[in-house]
Amino acid sequence: MALEHVAQGQTRFFTPGVAPDPRGIVLGRYCVMTFATLEGAVSWFRLYASEASLDELLANLAITKCRTALGSREIVVQIPAVSSYAVDRAARLCRLVGGAIYTGTAKHFVKYRDDRSPYGYDAVDIGTMPATTDFMVHGDDFAQGYVREGDLPFSRLLFRLSIRKLPGGEQLDAEARGELYLAVARGLSDGIIRYLWRNRVEAHAGLFTPGSTSAFDDHARDRGYMLIRVRALPERILALFLGTPGIDVFRPAGASAAVAVGYEHPIDLASCSTVFPADTFHVFWPSDRVDVLPGPIALSDIADLTRVDLELERPKDPKPHRGGGVDAIGVELKLAASMGPPRRVVATLIPLHHGSRLKRILFALPPVSLRGHRIATTDRGLLVIGSENLDVIPLGQLLCELTPGLLVPLGMDVVPRVSADVLARALGHQAGLVTVFTTDGRPFQVSEAAFASLERRALAKLEIEQVGLEDFAAASPAEAQIVNDAVGRFALWGFPDAPDHKLLPPGK
Amino acid sequence: MARAHVRDFLTRFVQPLVAGGEVHVGAPIPGTDVERWEHELSDASVELVAVDDARTQVAAMLVGRPPAFVFDADELALAAGLHNALFLVHPRAEEWSVSDRVRRKIIDTALAHVSRPLTHDLTRVIARHALLHNLFHLTRSDVTVSWWTGRARFQGQRPPARLTAWRGMRRVREDITLVDFDELLAVPDTAPVIATLLRRTPLTQLLDAHPGAPPVHWEDAVFLVRNAELARAIVYRLVPDAGPREQVAGPARLAAAFEQMLERAPDEADVRAVAAFFVHLTAVFCFGELGLREPAAKSPLISTVLSAETAGQRPRGLATLFALPAALARVDPRIATPPGLAQVPNMLARWRAHRAQAQELLGDALIDALAERLRRHLRVARAPAEDGSAAAST
Repeated sequence: MALEHVAQGQTRFFTPGVAPDPRGIVLGRYCVMTFATLEGAVSWFRLYASEASLDELLANLAITKCRTALGSREIVVQIPAVSSYAVDRAARLCRLVGGAIYTGTAKHFVKYRDDRSPYGYDAVDIGTMPATTDFMVHGDDFAQGYVREGDLPFSRLLFRLSIRKLPGGEQLDAEARGELYLAVARGLSDGIIRYLWRNRVEAHAGLFTPGSTSAFDDHARDRGYMLIRVRALPERILALFLGTPGIDVFRPAGASAAVAVGYEHPIDLASCSTVFPADTFHVFWPSDRVDVLPGPIALSDIADLTRVDLELERPKDPKPHRGGGVDAIGVELKLAASMGPPRRVVATLIPLHHGSRLKRILFALPPVSLRGHRIATTDRGLLVIGSENLDVIPLGQLLCELTPGLLVPLGMDVVPRVSADVLARALGHQAGLVTVFTTDGRPFQVSEAAFASLERRALAKLEIEQVGLEDFAAASPAEAQIVNDAVGRFALWGFPDAPDHKLLPPGK
Repeated sequence: MARAHVRDFLTRFVQPLVAGGEVHVGAPIPGTDVERWEHELSDASVELVAVDDARTQVAAMLVGRPPAFVFDADELALAAGLHNALFLVHPRAEEWSVSDRVRRKIIDTALAHVSRPLTHDLTRVIARHALLHNLFHLTRSDVTVSWWTGRARFQGQRPPARLTAWRGMRRVREDITLVDFDELLAVPDTAPVIATLLRRTPLTQLLDAHPGAPPVHWEDAVFLVRNAELARAIVYRLVPDAGPREQVAGPARLAAAFEQMLERAPDEADVRAVAAFFVHLTAVFCFGELGLREPAAKSPLISTVLSAETAGQRPRGLATLFALPAALARVDPRIATPPGLAQVPNMLARWRAHRAQAQELLGDALIDALAERLRRHLRVARAPAEDGSAAAST
C-alpha cells in the first residue's frame, strides 16, 4: 500500500469520499480514530473536552468496538469532520494519547494530514474490500480492515466513569464559591435554612427525590433530600458544611449537572451538555452515585421558608388612629454662604444709578456677547438675564439659578435647604415669573413679559435709507454652439479656386 | 440666388462666435464674397457695433482699459476662414457628391483667408483674440433619432418634426452627443487651417488650449509676455483656483512649447524673456502658499505633481517648468530669481523651499541637461575683471 502526498490545489483523489476543504486539506465527512484500549479513547475525550466543546461532535459521534482481520480488538471513535481546524485539534490530541486518525466518508478512510504532508494523503491503490469488512483505514504502509463488534454510546461511557478526588479540591476561591448546591438531609434542612438566612447568604431551596428505575429500591423509604442553591457562600461556612455529615456540597458543571466539591469528572461535563436530557439535572456524588433530578430545578427563596411562630390565643387587634391637621411650622428663609461648587451666573441685578456704566459696557462689548440677553427695569434695579454665562457684565449683584426663574446671589444659598420645588411652591413662584432673592432679604418677582431684548434697548432707532444694488460683475459668457444650416444641393457648384496670393511676411 | 450680405454673416456667425450662441455655418465663402463684404462693412454699422461691444467685454477681462476695436477686413477674413474650416465638417461636405477636388478648393480658400500677416501690434492681437477666444470651446450637438424601424443622425441640425412625431407609438428616442474641438477642428482637413489661424492669435494660444490644438510657437508669442499687463493676465488665467494638477496643466503646456523652442534657433532675447516669464510663474506658486503655517514646509503642490509615484503621469513640460529656476541659476543667475524676492521674507522662504523640493524630486541630472540646453542659447556676460584679464592675456 502506498500513500501519496497531496499537492496544493489538487482536487482529484483516488480515495473515495474525500475532497479538499477551503484550505486545500483533504477531508472526508468523518474522521475515525483508532485506539488500542478504551482508556486511550477516554483520554482523548478528556483532553478534547478540556480544550473545546464536545457538543459539536456529539451529533455524529460513534464509539465502536472493532476487530481486525488478525483478531485483535481496537476501540474506534468516529467523529464528524466539521472543519479542518477541529480535525487538526482532534488529530493532535489523538497522536498525543497514542492513537491514529484517518479521514473518509463511508468505507475507506485515509490517513489525516501530518507535518510531512500538510495537505493530507491520498491512497493510490485502493483494492476491493472483503465483504466481511465494515470499513478500511489506509496508513503509511498498511491498509487495515475492521469489523464492527458493538457500539458504546457516549452517554453510557460518561456515566460509567467515576468522578475522581482532586487533591486540594475543597479549597474554592471566591469565583468558584459564586454558586454552589447543597444536598441537605431532610432532618437538617430547617436548621440549615435558618443558619443561611441568619448569615445573609442568598439561597434558594427545593425538595427533590431522585428518580429510580430499580425494582429493588425501597419505595417506602423516602430518599429525597433538600437541594439548596447558595450564592457567594463564605469560605468558613463552606468548610463547616464540608465537614458536617448529612450535608454534601456540589459545584455546577454546566446547566444540567453538578459534581461534588473536591471531585472532578474525567470528562468536562460542561463541554458535553447535550448528553443530558433537557428535563433532568444530574448530581454526581462520590462513590459513583448519580442522581437524576427532574429539571430544570425549581427552587424557592429561603427567606420565605423560615419558621413562622403564631400565637393564636393572643390575637393582636389593630388599634385605629385618626389623622389630624398638621400644625404650621413657620421658618424664616435666609440667605447663607453656599457650601457647594459655584453655579453658573445667569443674571445680574444692577443698581439704577449704574445704568450709564451698563450702557458704556454695552457699546464696548461685541454684539455676539450680547446676543440673547434680556433686561427688565424695576424699582429695585436693572435685572439683566443672559442666555449663556453672564459674567461678561461686571456690574451689580451676580445671580445664579436655583430652579428655572428662581435667582439667588452668587455664592449664596437659601436656608433652610429645602428642595427647589418646595421653595418655589412656598414663594408662589411659577412659570412666567422671575423671582430674585437679594442680600437685603427682600425677594421680589418680575413678570417675564417685562423683559426686553438687551440689544434693542441699547441701540437707538435709526432711519436707514434703502439703496439699490448695481451688479458690475462681468456676465458669464454663453457657450458658442455650431448649428449647420441647410445649404442646398448645388451650394458647391461653381466654387472658385482659392486666390493665389503669396503669404505676407511676419510683421514686426 | 440672392447674394448674402455681410450683415447676415456678422449676425449669424461672427456675433455668436464672440458672445456665444448659435454659430450658423452655411455654404463656404469664396474669396470674391469676402472682398465684396469688405466694401459692405460700412453698411453694417449696427451689427459691427454689436460685435465690437462683445469683443470689448472679452478684452475687459484681460486688460484694464480695452482698446477701441473696429471690425475690419483682417478680422473678416479670419472669421471667413474659420467658417470655411467649419464647413469641412458640415454634413453636406461629407456627402459622396463632394469630390476631393472641391474639398481641396475649400481648404485652400480657408487657408488663404486665415493667412493674414502676423502682427505684434497689441491692439490687433487683442482684437483677434477677442474674435477667436471661443475657438477651443466650440461645440456641436449631434442628435441621433431612432424610431421603431430605423435611425437617422443629424450633425448640428435639428431633426425634422416628422421624425420625432408620435413619440410613444413610434418609440422615438433622441440621443444627443456633444462634439468638441477634437472632432470639429482637429481633424486632418481642418487642422492646417486652424494651425495657421492660431499663429495669427498667439494670445488665444497662451490663454487657452486644447490637447488637440497645435502647441504655442513661442517666437510669435514672446512679445506678449514682455507686456506686464498681458503677462499678468496670462499668468492669472494659467493658474486657476483649482486642484494642484489643474494649476500646473497650463504652465506645463507652455513649458513644453518652450522645450520645442530650445530645439530651434530662437533669438537669445526671446529665450531670456520666456525663461524669465516662467521664473515669475513659479513664483506665483510660492505666492499661493504664503499662508502656510511653516514658511519652510514642503509644498503640497510640488509634492502632488512631482511625486515619484506619479512620475509617469506628469504632463509634458512639467519637469522643465520646475527645473528651470535651478537650471537658470547655473547658467545665468540674474534671471533665475524674480527681482525683489528678498524683500519679502516669507516669499523668499517659500521660494527656497520650492527650489529645494523640486531639486530633490527631479534630480540633478535633469537640471544639468536643461542647463546645458539653455547654455546653447544664452551668452552669459563675463565679469569685468575677468574680461580685463582676458584682454591682457590676448
